[in-house]
Amino acid sequence: MNTTLINFEAFIEWDTNPFILFSNLGKILYLNNAAEILFGYVSQKELYNIALSYATQDFGYRSTTLSLTYDSFTFHSITVGYESEDQISLRLYNTPRIASSHKLETNKLITTDINILLEANIALFKTKNTNPLSLLVDQDLPAFKIDQNNFSKLLRKVLNTFRSSDSIDITLKLLIGQHVMIEGKKEPLVQLIVLANGRYADTDDEIRTLANISQIKCLLSEKSIRMEVPLIQ
Amino acid sequence: METFFTTSDKIHHIIKSFNLTKTLFVSSIIIGEAHTGKKTLARYLFPDAFVVSGEDQDAVQDALEKHDELIISDFEKLSNPSQLNFDNKRIIATANYLGNASLIDDIFAFIYMMPTLKERPDDVEYLKELYVEEACNTLMIDKDKVTMSALPLNLSLNSKSLKKSLYLDLFKLAIDKKEIEDIMYNYLYASLEGKDAYKIHLGLYERPLIQAGLDKFGSQLQLSQVLGINRNTLRKKIHEHNID
Repeated sequence: MNTTLINFEAFIEWDTNPFILFSNLGKILYLNNAAEILFGYVSQKELYNIALSYATQDFGYRSTTLSLTYDSFTFHSITVGYESEDQISLRLYNTPRIASSHKLETNKLITTDINILLEANIALFKTKNTNPLSLLVDQDLPAFKIDQNNFSKLLRKVLNTFRSSDSIDITLKLLIGQHVMIEGKKEPLVQLIVLANGRYADTDDEIRTLANISQIKCLLSEKSIRMEVPLIQ
Repeated sequence: METFFTTSDKIHHIIKSFNLTKTLFVSSIIIGEAHTGKKTLARYLFPDAFVVSGEDQDAVQDALEKHDELIISDFEKLSNPSQLNFDNKRIIATANYLGNASLIDDIFAFIYMMPTLKERPDDVEYLKELYVEEACNTLMIDKDKVTMSALPLNLSLNSKSLKKSLYLDLFKLAIDKKEIEDIMYNYLYASLEGKDAYKIHLGLYERPLIQAGLDKFGSQLQLSQVLGINRNTLRKKIHEHNID
């Protein structure tokens, strides 16, 4: 039988799912592009420990379904494999971004300075709460098209989940290098992060619904809410 | 043009938020007890907005078709608020109570709660000054003769009860003997009947007389001398009129 040797390294290198090869001491022997970005948000030790925890008892490969979230990265399963005592590999599978079921009618959207909407919602929040609140915004963000009413409702609900938090940090910035397709057009993203020492999760479903209407990707975690808002111009 | 005075932090935040969203097409509602200044605040912030009452659903529907900026007062009185389409409109609604909370939450982006006057002592002082000034002008009373601290404040119905109670108190100061007699005349003319009217209506004169005398002179002995009646007669009348 004729065998052809194929080098699969480039395929792995450019795969959007992170792949890491550790030494038996937990040192990184190889990591692909996606893993390199992921390491900006998770420690080497944490991923190495995951690889060890989910490895088979003997040499071989095992895939496990689990839910992992690091910043805006979410994974639905992993594969851990090793063929010798010297190396162990970990592959994480990205959770697919669910396409919004709501069609955005961009012609009905109004060009808006998002900073104004944010400030107005903070003023509303302050009518009911006295929590210390810090705001870091990119004043150079251009005005963009948004459903002002729906986005305001979303902001109100998001801030309201932090009503009992000790201090709240809000950051608004352009998400460099990431885009979203809206009506066949590649649009940049603005990231809004609200972070505190904890928050209520009672209205998370409503937040997801409102975010979906405006095609905003929303990541709700125990202490923070991250929103990726399409910057439509 | 309407003016709006307040020292309340809460209301200052409401004003700030409204000022920021003044040019945006968002729906807002101010909810709070009656007579706390919700409508005045809305008209002060949006002087050019068309004003319509929620008492008439058809009128609101009609106004929504014609105007992009609208103040809807008495929102709680709308028969079918979920039918209204606020898309890309600037709506400022006012309501005396929350009503259907989830509906309000669905319709409005900005939901403000207006504090009552009891929560705004500085605003009460300002309004008191304003109403006393106005009442003194209307009733032609010399304001310098009014002891401001002696005027009781009735805040049970916010500015409505405050204004009414101040007017009534100042009116009592303005009234003279002849006017008291006229009021008595009108009252007695309307109520005189039966066989024992003299005794029944004598209290109108005796009760305030004895009460004022006791408040002024303290002792029954002294009052009986001032009134020129026997102390026993005075005691009998105090008992008769249930005066403490």
